[in-house]
Amino acid sequence: MPEGQALQPERRPVAFRGGGFLPRTSRAVGAIGFAVVLLAWQGALAAGWISPVFLPSPVEVALALRDLAASGELWRHLSISLYRIVLGWSFGTAAGLGVGSAMALFSLARSLGMPMISALFPIPKIALLPLLILWLGIGETSKVATIGLGVFFPTAIATYSGIDNVSRTLIRMAQSFGIPFGAIVCKVALPGALPSILSGMRISASIALLLVVSAEMIGAESGIGAFVLSAGNLMQTDQLVAGVAVLSVLGLLVGAALSAAEKALLSWR
Amino acid sequence: MKLAVDVRRHAYDDLLVLSDVSFTVADGEVVCIVGPSGCGKSTLLGIVGGLVRPTDGTVATEGALRPGTLNPVTFVFQDFALLPWRSVRDNVGFPLEHHRLSSADREARVSDALARTGLADFAGALPKQLSGGMRQRVGIARALAVEPALLLLDEPLSALDAQTRELLMDDFGRLWMGAGITALYVTHNLDEALRLADRIVVLSRRPGRIKDIVSVGIDRPDRTAVAAAPRLAVLRERLWSLIRDEAASADREMARA
Amino acid sequence: MTASRSRQVGRFAWRVGVLLLGLALAGGAHAEKLTVGVLKLASSGPVFLAQDLGYFREAGLEVEFKFFEAAQPVAVATVSGDLDVGVTGVTAGFYNLAGKGALKIIAAQAREEPGYRLVAVVASRKADEAGLKRLEDLPGHAAAVTQVGSTFHYSLGLLAERHGFDIGKVRVVPMQSVPNVVSAVKGSQVEAAILPATAATPLVNAGEARLLAWADETPWQVAVVFTSPKMIGTRRDALERFVAAYRRGTEAFREAFLAKAPDGRLVPGPQADRDLAIIARYTGQSAESVRGSIPYVDPQARLLVGDIHRQVRWYQGQKLVDPGVDPRGVLDLSFVPGHLDVPN
Ligand SMILES: Nc1ncnc2c1ncn2[C@@H]1O[C@H](COP(=O)(O)OP(=O)(O)OP(=O)(O)O)[C@@H](O)[C@H]1O
Ligand SMILES: [Mg+2]
Repeated sequence: MPEGQALQPERRPVAFRGGGFLPRTSRAVGAIGFAVVLLAWQGALAAGWISPVFLPSPVEVALALRDLAASGELWRHLSISLYRIVLGWSFGTAAGLGVGSAMALFSLARSLGMPMISALFPIPKIALLPLLILWLGIGETSKVATIGLGVFFPTAIATYSGIDNVSRTLIRMAQSFGIPFGAIVCKVALPGALPSILSGMRISASIALLLVVSAEMIGAESGIGAFVLSAGNLMQTDQLVAGVAVLSVLGLLVGAALSAAEKALLSWR
Repeated sequence: MKLAVDVRRHAYDDLLVLSDVSFTVADGEVVCIVGPSGCGKSTLLGIVGGLVRPTDGTVATEGALRPGTLNPVTFVFQDFALLPWRSVRDNVGFPLEHHRLSSADREARVSDALARTGLADFAGALPKQLSGGMRQRVGIARALAVEPALLLLDEPLSALDAQTRELLMDDFGRLWMGAGITALYVTHNLDEALRLADRIVVLSRRPGRIKDIVSVGIDRPDRTAVAAAPRLAVLRERLWSLIRDEAASADREMARA
Repeated sequence: MTASRSRQVGRFAWRVGVLLLGLALAGGAHAEKLTVGVLKLASSGPVFLAQDLGYFREAGLEVEFKFFEAAQPVAVATVSGDLDVGVTGVTAGFYNLAGKGALKIIAAQAREEPGYRLVAVVASRKADEAGLKRLEDLPGHAAAVTQVGSTFHYSLGLLAERHGFDIGKVRVVPMQSVPNVVSAVKGSQVEAAILPATAATPLVNAGEARLLAWADETPWQVAVVFTSPKMIGTRRDALERFVAAYRRGTEAFREAFLAKAPDGRLVPGPQADRDLAIIARYTGQSAESVRGSIPYVDPQARLLVGDIHRQVRWYQGQKLVDPGVDPRGVLDLSFVPGHLDVPN
């Protein structure tokens, strides 16, 4: 049979078909990409493809930032906003950790908490702002509360599901050594939930940054959110973009801080 | 410490898991429990250790405790149950933390347990850096650190490879057998039971009942000798005949469920 | 020869005449389209009258209104070319946009004029009880406005100049919208507020706030008609016809609503009810609330040019308008003759 012979000693190399699915991040590529975007932006304005009425150039934005920093305005706005963010985030996180833990640990809290969180979480906190202002006034309290409320829900959910997913055997192990309830919560449940809590914090920190702009919409004379809003109202586009840039740098810094925290606290994974 | 188990009935909702399981364990005795999958072995161990409340039944211990005993009834787990964020040293020290001990005493207990289990060099390592055998050694060191009177071991070797199992069984003999520690040891592996047990409780398929209790009757150190092989083979055959049918129908039941 | 020649010429002339008539008819059928951005406010009354009474149509224009909620987007949409003409209040944001050469003011709309009350400064009840009785007491207190750099903000600035207090010592609190300002006053969360008459009057009548002053003492240009320089360059003719028709609207508006008897009482014109109904229809408000918010509009749409200069300078002093903005650059005075108060 000629076919049989054709099959015989033919060598067929095995082709490589693995690889891929292992994306890596390179800081250099990120920086170059950023620089290219900035250059293209500046170039498009210089060439007249974009009217300066619609978009300020990166140089104008940089100059606006420099002026803001030099006059101390930047620091004034930033410090008050950071104060609101830190305070609101801390309250929201503390409450979220407490309520989330309670929901993970106690039947009563779980039965009450689950439907409430499902009902209240999707409400845009900005929609509640007028109510918060009625209850709490236009001072710091309503602004801190807006941020706190936005932070509370994701933290509570992350804490709850984090503790819920802690391995049952670890809990049984601790019980089998007669460890008291409170110590099991602090030494087993919460540390076990830490990965989930930290990724919840990533979300809640971004929400805090988003909400500082909403919180400063009403009755705020200073703050980076109020500054961005008034720059928008005043059509000072260079200031607007400068303020937005400050917010996104803030976002980057918070992200980096959380990555560092994850690296330090979750090295055991 | 002596142990008297008398579980008349245990059910999870409508699922009857254990029925009339009564036996006693003498001071310092090692009793293995074998039985088909799902017959309630882990449940039984949980009841003995006070982690599961039996539907109807009692468990009692008897006998004076040594002064150093912090946690008389202590578990060793199949999947080790180590806290992944704690170093080996801190995992072993974990159960000691809520006892009023001087820090010197605490450290002495930890380093003694680590030394006996051959972990001294790994005290600072995290669980993820250890092999499976090493991890179970940490689990055993943690149990030894509280100087238990009764050890409850739920398939402590089943997650390990055969060679590691052999090594750890040797360690068991050295570490606690003959040291006056009573043990209840759940396993699927008949050879393991024949190597370690004074007596073997054979459970039927679910609901678990005692089918038979087999005494090994060979001195533990002699069992690895060639001379013991024929007698062990006879015992093994007897155990296997008790279990085979149960295991087969339990398996079919599982497949159907 | 001559007879036949003249007959030929006559026939030619007749043909040309028919052709021209056809062209004219065709031109009439295809009126030129203009898209105009307005707010649904009584101050937009003149444009609504010009539309409804057919002045735009008679000028060969087909005007389409686009309605907006706030002044700012009208300016932005005019810059982007979505609107041909905008008619709204002038804010600091407007001057910043116009200062980049993107907008030109071509005619006047509403203005503050003594005796025509548009904007009030009120004190909350708590502040009133605590002794905030006069405008001069404002420094050291918080005053709510809709937005920083809004017409309300400038009103307060003019009052400060006139009454000799330092606006830098008043905490100007932006609340984003009139309803927010109202609830801040009701809840005594701010000590004072600058509000349109339509919102201030009910508050004062209900005893929830106390009137400190009307802002009608100094005449100033609140709202204007504007377009983009590109429109002026390419469609000047249509814009001129638009302004002419618009001025017929302002004249009708004056006749209906702005005439005063010697004793200062307003005397409604013969067509006042009809015109009120028109404006009510366009704004979606009741005739009654339109009547309560009729502002002064110059009957010939002449701008208070000096005030525009003063506005830009004032906003610049408050650092709300970029220092490079030249008020002359935002004005095109060629569409309306005889503008008022023109600086040399
Ligand atoms: N907490 C529980 N709730 C309900 N049913 C349970 C629970 N724990 C165990 N069971 C059921 O009870 C039966 C006995 O479980 P158990 O874990 O005690 O068996 P086992 O003998 O240890 O099995 P294996 O050999 O697989 O470890 C099984 O059918 C199991 O599904
Ligand atoms: Mg089991």
